[in-house]
Amino acid sequence: MGTSVFYLVAFLSIFFSLMVIFAKNPVHSVLYLIVTFFTFTVHYILLNAQFLAVVNFIVYMGAIMVLFLFVLMLLNLNTDNEPLKSVLVKVVGVIGGCCLVVTLIGSLKATAASDPLILVNPNLGLVKNLGKELFGPFMLPFELSSILLLTAMVGAVLLTKKEKV
Amino acid sequence: MNIIITIVVTALAVLYAGLFKAKKALLPLTLIGLVTALAFAVTAWDTNIVYYGMMEMDNFAIAFSSLIILGTIFIFLLTQNYFSEHSENVAEYYTLILFALSGMVIILSYTNMSMLFIGIEIMSVALYILAGIRKKDFASNEASLKYFLMGAFSTGFLLFGIALIYGATGSFSLDAINKYLIGNHQSVSPLFYPGMILIMVGLCFKLGAAPFHFWTPDVYEGSPSLITAFMSTVVKTAGFAAFLRLFGGTFAPLHDFWMPPLLAIVFITLFIGNVTALFQKNFKRMLAYSSISHAGYLLFSLVTLTGNSSSNVIVYAAAYTFASIIAFAVLILVKQKTGGDGFESYNGLAKRNPFVALALTISMLSLAGIPLTAGFIGKYVMFLNVMTEYHIYLVAFAILNALIGFYYYLKVIVAMYFKEGPEVELNTPVQYKLVLILSVIITLVLGVYPAVILNLI
Repeated sequence: MGTSVFYLVAFLSIFFSLMVIFAKNPVHSVLYLIVTFFTFTVHYILLNAQFLAVVNFIVYMGAIMVLFLFVLMLLNLNTDNEPLKSVLVKVVGVIGGCCLVVTLIGSLKATAASDPLILVNPNLGLVKNLGKELFGPFMLPFELSSILLLTAMVGAVLLTKKEKV
Repeated sequence: MNIIITIVVTALAVLYAGLFKAKKALLPLTLIGLVTALAFAVTAWDTNIVYYGMMEMDNFAIAFSSLIILGTIFIFLLTQNYFSEHSENVAEYYTLILFALSGMVIILSYTNMSMLFIGIEIMSVALYILAGIRKKDFASNEASLKYFLMGAFSTGFLLFGIALIYGATGSFSLDAINKYLIGNHQSVSPLFYPGMILIMVGLCFKLGAAPFHFWTPDVYEGSPSLITAFMSTVVKTAGFAAFLRLFGGTFAPLHDFWMPPLLAIVFITLFIGNVTALFQKNFKRMLAYSSISHAGYLLFSLVTLTGNSSSNVIVYAAAYTFASIIAFAVLILVKQKTGGDGFESYNGLAKRNPFVALALTISMLSLAGIPLTAGFIGKYVMFLNVMTEYHIYLVAFAILNALIGFYYYLKVIVAMYFKEGPEVELNTPVQYKLVLILSVIITLVLGVYPAVILNLI
């Protein structure tokens, strides 16, 4: 059962990510990207990583997607102002793509040689265990990140406030 | 730990003081907080406390913390008459500087990669904002945006490197990574090497070492001078200490692997920093390029790892910090009076302001590395360090670069003493005088009697 679900979802992920590239309309492309992220969320749940799934759902499918759409609308993409693709750019693109293929093949070979790291605790991704990690061994960095958030907050208010001159 | 808590509580107290319009209380509050933090640092000497396996306050961390806290106190003293009378946001500026300082204390003492990341982010986020606090000034906006984009990019490199190293070793803890390297010296996972190089790239970005230095001149020139002083002295020292802690300690078993790329970085940094500084017409931009070249000299301590590496770095960093603080203090004074920061603004400065000119002369001589100043001792110990492994080419190249340095540092001195100028008289506030006197004393004392801090760590 689990494997068949995995294959179905994996097929959907690949299918929709290809659609992202092949869609002519940029808004459609973004919508396909949302579906792709949704299939990733399903993957995380299959991998027993609840927290990642929730974060992926809220942050990527929600916040980041809105940002993408926002930028798309601001950019005002038309066929008129589309940059010209010269022969040089295409040649460079082909060379770049070939380099990527070589790297991918090389890394695939390397993964076959090394033995994968197996998690000590397969339920590590559950929210309860993650919380225990954060409030146990990683207590100090977790608390210190509050300074980071406060810094960002002070900065955001400082930069957006109108200054009386 | 108590150092960080003190600094953060001070920052919050300053923020509240700003809310209640207690403008007069801001500077005293900040200074009290920082002096308390410094006292905590000094009393923690030789205790070596480890906090939750995440931070270790060893002598290395304490020595560097004391240096950066002292540097920050000097920077705060320079705020007199700096921010406009009517500015309502001075408390926020102070708070952000203090937050950045707390981030720096974290990256001096981390023993876990997650702490390194959080510390660097706290420091950087505060600095992105501080670079852009002149909201009406185009150059300041540009500096802030450029710094933010470049900084975010370099953080990406750093994180990717940390992730790969986690993949190879299964741990974020520096101890565990070090044990892994020693245990599997012959069969280190292939993931480890790119991870290490990516971390090196990310940290070199933060240090402003070439070829990752492109943001430095624009950001240093565009930011308010006081913030530039903070970035090029205190922040650089802290970033370098973080680099040293990771590469000089944890990654030391793989020194043979990461030394050649580092050596290339040192060569390029020295060359680009010095040669480009030669052609600058603007004093502030010249200081930016000179800070790049000093990053190159600082990296010498990693080319050859010896027991003295960290004490050499602290001598060099102290020499560089206090000399640069003098240079920036004079820069601020001259800019307030004449409005320009080109070399011609310094013409004939010595006639009416003998003390300021003398201080700037000592600072320039120290940056150039003339004997009897701290800069000479700094360069000497660095060169001596790499000579233990007979990197003769490197030393010869560095000496050539130091000679180029003489030329552009002396340009300022020549302008002050030998050129005819409008003979402006600078108004030097009390706190500026204090900072100049103290920095000159430290520079000379370290130059004559370096053993004060040379054998500390």
